[in-house]
Amino acid sequence: MENIRKGFEEVGYISDAEVIVTVYLALKLQKPILIEGEPGVGKTELGKVLSQIFHADLIRLQCYEGLDENKALYEWNYQKQLLKIQIMKEAQACENIEHDLFSREYLLERPLLKAIQSENTSVLLIDEVDKTDEEFEAFLFELLSDFQVSVPELGTLTARHIPMVVLTSNNERELSDGLKRRCIYLYLDFPAVEREIAIIKAKVPEINEKLTQQIAKAVHLIRQNREIKKKPSIAETLDWARALLTLNEDSLSEKLVKQTINILLKTKADIESFNKQIGAAALDEFARS
Amino acid sequence: MEKTMEANIVRFTHLLRLAGVKVGSGEVIDALNALTVIDFSDREQVKTALRSVLVKRKGERDIFDRTFDLYFAPLEERERQQMEHQMRQDQKKQQIEEAEQDLTFEEENLDLTEEEKYLYSQMDQEDKGRIKDYLKKAEAGKSREWEPNVKSLIETIVKGALRKWLHSHQDQVDLKERVSTGDLELDYILEDLGQKAPSGEDSLMYEDMQHIKDKDLPKANMLIRRLAKHLVTRISRRYKRSKRHQVLDLRRTIRDNIRYGGTMFKLKYRSKRIQKPKLILLCDVSGSMASYASLVLQFIYGIHSVLGQIESFIFSDDLERISQHFQPGSDFNQLMVDIMNKSNVWGGGTRLHTSLKTLRKKHSALLTSDAYLIILSDTKTEAIGDTLQELQNIKKCVKDILWLNTLPEQEWQNSISTRTFQALVKMYPCNTLNDIEQITRSKIFS
Ligand SMILES: Nc1ncnc2c1ncn2[C@@H]1O[C@H](COP(=O)(O)OP(=O)(O)OP(=O)(O)O)[C@@H](O)[C@H]1O
Ligand SMILES: [Mg+2]
Repeated sequence: MENIRKGFEEVGYISDAEVIVTVYLALKLQKPILIEGEPGVGKTELGKVLSQIFHADLIRLQCYEGLDENKALYEWNYQKQLLKIQIMKEAQACENIEHDLFSREYLLERPLLKAIQSENTSVLLIDEVDKTDEEFEAFLFELLSDFQVSVPELGTLTARHIPMVVLTSNNERELSDGLKRRCIYLYLDFPAVEREIAIIKAKVPEINEKLTQQIAKAVHLIRQNREIKKKPSIAETLDWARALLTLNEDSLSEKLVKQTINILLKTKADIESFNKQIGAAALDEFARS
Repeated sequence: MEKTMEANIVRFTHLLRLAGVKVGSGEVIDALNALTVIDFSDREQVKTALRSVLVKRKGERDIFDRTFDLYFAPLEERERQQMEHQMRQDQKKQQIEEAEQDLTFEEENLDLTEEEKYLYSQMDQEDKGRIKDYLKKAEAGKSREWEPNVKSLIETIVKGALRKWLHSHQDQVDLKERVSTGDLELDYILEDLGQKAPSGEDSLMYEDMQHIKDKDLPKANMLIRRLAKHLVTRISRRYKRSKRHQVLDLRRTIRDNIRYGGTMFKLKYRSKRIQKPKLILLCDVSGSMASYASLVLQFIYGIHSVLGQIESFIFSDDLERISQHFQPGSDFNQLMVDIMNKSNVWGGGTRLHTSLKTLRKKHSALLTSDAYLIILSDTKTEAIGDTLQELQNIKKCVKDILWLNTLPEQEWQNSISTRTFQALVKMYPCNTLNDIEQITRSKIFS
């Protein structure tokens, strides 16, 4: 467990006991980790960072609506197959062609098959599973149960190394009980002020201590407001920090907040709510207190 | 690992289930395995480990934490809590005994339920006084010797007064029926969990719908609308997909066209046809169900506005069609008032067999092979055997019958009616908003 903690520290991912225990358990029990949480709290980042820590290949499957097995597992390279057919036809050599055509040479490996075929241990990051439909989820569930697939033309392919699997979800829909039961669960919340300060320091080290604290406090206050619909994510905190740095400021001010608030809040409605509910002056005062 | 630890974890997961966290048996095994690889003496580590294998929903994390803290509390703390629980029980018993002494007519106890006696015990002196005065006057008036029915008449009036009082004092009383586990320690933890439940959006999702307080209703209604919308977009998305062009199956096309030397003569398509379901809803609005019905109708209303092909009925003693009320653009509250005012069945007894028969006789045109019949009820009906027979008759005509059961799932085992109907139809729990959410996500309507 200590190793995992150190690993996170080395790659600049600010973790806490909960993250470490969960990752440790997933490794020990050889189970996928399912990470849920608001957008931008570091779900995808955690998957990426794990591959760094364990010096494993990162294989990423980005999910989207309509994703199917062809795009996730494998597909036959039909253009190459067509070419072959035409060449063979001209050479008048048609026997055995079907067997040839459905050999590995014409197989396009997609992320899931890659993970199964991988020579080394890998981290398989299945990002935003909630974007797919139940059908695909059921298929994933099968795959994660035994780490083997059958390709009719090639037979059953079994994983050489069971990959470490990280699934992330933005909770757009609730995943099936079956899939959940298979996983170890981690819910990532927005970080507490202390933790966010640590993240800013790790990612934007050039910025001074005072401003770092002000930024973290200000963002924290904004996130607490119920009227603000799209809460600023960690990525947005970092963008804000970088922006303030390029403006060469070493402390917040009302004027500065007004100038840059659109980096934290992306919709007009949220900026309006902010002006009405908190206001630049109050935010500045709070952050500097 | 020690045997006692195993037993302890199993008991803890049992408690979690009672508290409303869905824990599967595989997860219990995961929990036991997890404990073999972590540092046992570190309480926080144990807590995090157990949570990450047992709790897979954000909204259940809070319940888990509180249950863990109570269950794994230091011994003295546990003993103290247990004692307090015992004292509260004794106090309640005493209050009910006192209520019984007050609530008599001609020196005989009124026939009231435990809940009603408890309600009386929670009234302040003034409200109690009013009921006592009434009883005294009644005694001075008609005597049973002249009118044998008078006692039950008085009981009805007292019951009515208690209900009315409850309506305006819902926040003061705690009417949740606790499952008694026969295990004193678990009982007090469950009681404690129930008392301190915060009323945020998350816990609302897990609250038995009939206990949702008036002040939480707007929020609950909002959640329900959102769920209905969710379901509707899911159904219509599937529906749209079926209309989309079919997908070219390249693998099969190539296979079949090898002999033409690569010229694609015959194109092979993958077939994918999904039909929009036709729904018939039967909503139980008998006395035992009335507290769920308004939320459920809210849900029906939500889907009605988008899916044309729904027929809705309510039933108690008999069946009534209500589809005609769901006009596009109608206001929900007005609609509820309309339905309740015009209905003869709202809050009546439960005769599902009669209601199903009416459906079969008067609305047979609806019962087609592509229709789903959805029954929303706690299964508490008269004539279980006749009902089963009617269900069988109808099942032959429709595509399927689905039952949304408002009885909490842990009570299904002990409900004869639930078990009887379960043998014939698919049942889904529909006790909390979370259950409704699960339903909108399941494959029921695919
Ligand atoms: N604990 C952390 N330590 C260091 N950096 C972090 C941490 N958490 C988040 N970040 C930073 O925040 C950014 C956003 O995180 P990420 O993209 O992983 O969020 P996400 O939860 O996957 O969001 P989405 O739901 O939008 O996909 C990352 O680029 C990373 O730099
Ligand atoms: Mg992401």
